[in-house]
Amino acid sequence: MRKKIFIIPVFFVFFLFSLIDTSAQNVAPPEWQQCMACHALGKKLIGPDLVGITDRRSEEWIYKFIRNSQEMIQAGDPIAVQVWEEHNKIPMTNFDFTDDQIKGILDFIKAYDPSQPVEIAQAPTTVSDTVEKAETAEEAELDQFLYKHEKYGPGNTRPTFIVFLILLIIAVADLAFIKFIRAHFIHYIVILVSIFVMGEIVYVEAKALGRQEGYSPDQPVWFSHKVHAGQNHIDCLYCHSTAMESKSAGIPGINVCMNCHNVVKSGKITGTEEIAKVVEAWNTGKPIEWVRVHNLPDHVFFSHAQHVNAGKRQCQECHGPVEKMDRIVQVENLGMGWCIHCHRRTPVQFKENSFYQEYTRFKEKMESGEMSRVTVDDIGGNNCQTCHY
Amino acid sequence: MKLKIEKNKILFVMLIGIGLVFSACHRDNNSTGQAYFPDMSYSYAFETYGSSPNFSDSIQMLMPVEGTIPREMIPYQFGKTFQEQVRAGQELVNPYTPDEAVMKRGKEQYTIFCSNCHGVSGKGDGYLVTSKLFTAQPVSLLSDYVQSKPDGEIFHVITLGSLSTLMGAHGSQIKPEDRWKIVTYVKNGLK
Repeated sequence: MRKKIFIIPVFFVFFLFSLIDTSAQNVAPPEWQQCMACHALGKKLIGPDLVGITDRRSEEWIYKFIRNSQEMIQAGDPIAVQVWEEHNKIPMTNFDFTDDQIKGILDFIKAYDPSQPVEIAQAPTTVSDTVEKAETAEEAELDQFLYKHEKYGPGNTRPTFIVFLILLIIAVADLAFIKFIRAHFIHYIVILVSIFVMGEIVYVEAKALGRQEGYSPDQPVWFSHKVHAGQNHIDCLYCHSTAMESKSAGIPGINVCMNCHNVVKSGKITGTEEIAKVVEAWNTGKPIEWVRVHNLPDHVFFSHAQHVNAGKRQCQECHGPVEKMDRIVQVENLGMGWCIHCHRRTPVQFKENSFYQEYTRFKEKMESGEMSRVTVDDIGGNNCQTCHY
Repeated sequence: MKLKIEKNKILFVMLIGIGLVFSACHRDNNSTGQAYFPDMSYSYAFETYGSSPNFSDSIQMLMPVEGTIPREMIPYQFGKTFQEQVRAGQELVNPYTPDEAVMKRGKEQYTIFCSNCHGVSGKGDGYLVTSKLFTAQPVSLLSDYVQSKPDGEIFHVITLGSLSTLMGAHGSQIKPEDRWKIVTYVKNGLK
């Protein structure tokens, strides 16, 4: 009984502390992040100081102004026009906030205490399963695609090889020395099957040497190309902007991520956690160490500019349906046979292509009907020194 | 004797079964597999996006030394304030006239870099906005506010982003020539 009495004051003290903690800080709603870009409390930024805004303007006026200020200015609202002219005639961005969201912001401004720092509340995580369900058909298609490609990649074949090697040794030993089993056909079957399986393994493993088809490493951030390039329709070149001009397609810097993620803080599938990693990298300046998936050996020269710009290839031709992949998988083996095969069958696109404007002899031959088409092979794309030098 | 053979048969079938089970395992998705002549496959020189033990923060791709600029590069001379934006509008001159080639390239680049938010039409109805993924409503590029701005000011906003920072800086992604072509397209091509 005594113990319990002792515990109660301890709890009470904790309770008091917790009260002090919450009352001491200015907790802003998540929407404040967007207001913060132009407005501050206690000083003028691009937009006016918002302290006391609820006393200066009517609530109805504020709601209208947040949603569409330009409409009010054009309608000739005297206060709106005056505010607009005072602030260099920079129009305020329209925000499609709900009544509750605006009320949250206004309540925060009303309760703002200048002596305390502002802390922005985390947006509630909205993980919607509807997105995943809606795309099961698409996903099934991709699964089949990946399965088809993974099937040809070697599994962990070493244990199988060892098992059959032991079987082979036992069979030969029994046939020659031990003579434990009298029926010899068993020995022959075991020897034949072992040799066949081991030969197959040697062939498959040798074929996969230096290939990384099906390689799909864990990345430091759960970044989904399916969400960005597929569902959000962002062009590949928006992030990999050097693919047209450079040898490398380019890993986008974090500043490119922040073009959208300065506003978008919560993802459909991952919530806030993964985007927070990107924001942290941006704030601290510590780069995200992405793991490279598609990698050609050092003795091969490859230029994205040549293939994307002059060759007019689509990204998906070599990288597979990236816009359907949550996690990047290497779908082509990037072997030399694969390169050569494509160079042999792909016709050069002479039409509206300034890179090939000097190739008049080939164009003449095509016009005269001497050649039905000109492939990359014909213009020297398969010479050794084109890629190896 | 007959019994012994059957025992061995069972053992034999079991071993094959075990072998098949093992062979069904797939390669670890984090493993790149084996390479012949790894010294020819993996570069000894440090590569652009790789890490390097020579620097304390192990970043291979370094920033230029403070106060220096790369050859042939003219650094952008304007800061990110309202006054500087107006000054950019007065001092920068668009080198392009709206001919066919410029407009074609401008439209191409506009579609890649701008239409996500500003929309193909320029009214601020890009997919990221209409789908409510990006909650801020971008300015309509057809409005008098944008169309009345000098070309240099639009160029300035593309390069450094908007004053509100809701539009990010696109200078690192778009080359200056292409930025001017986008400006030309925004001024003359959007309908």
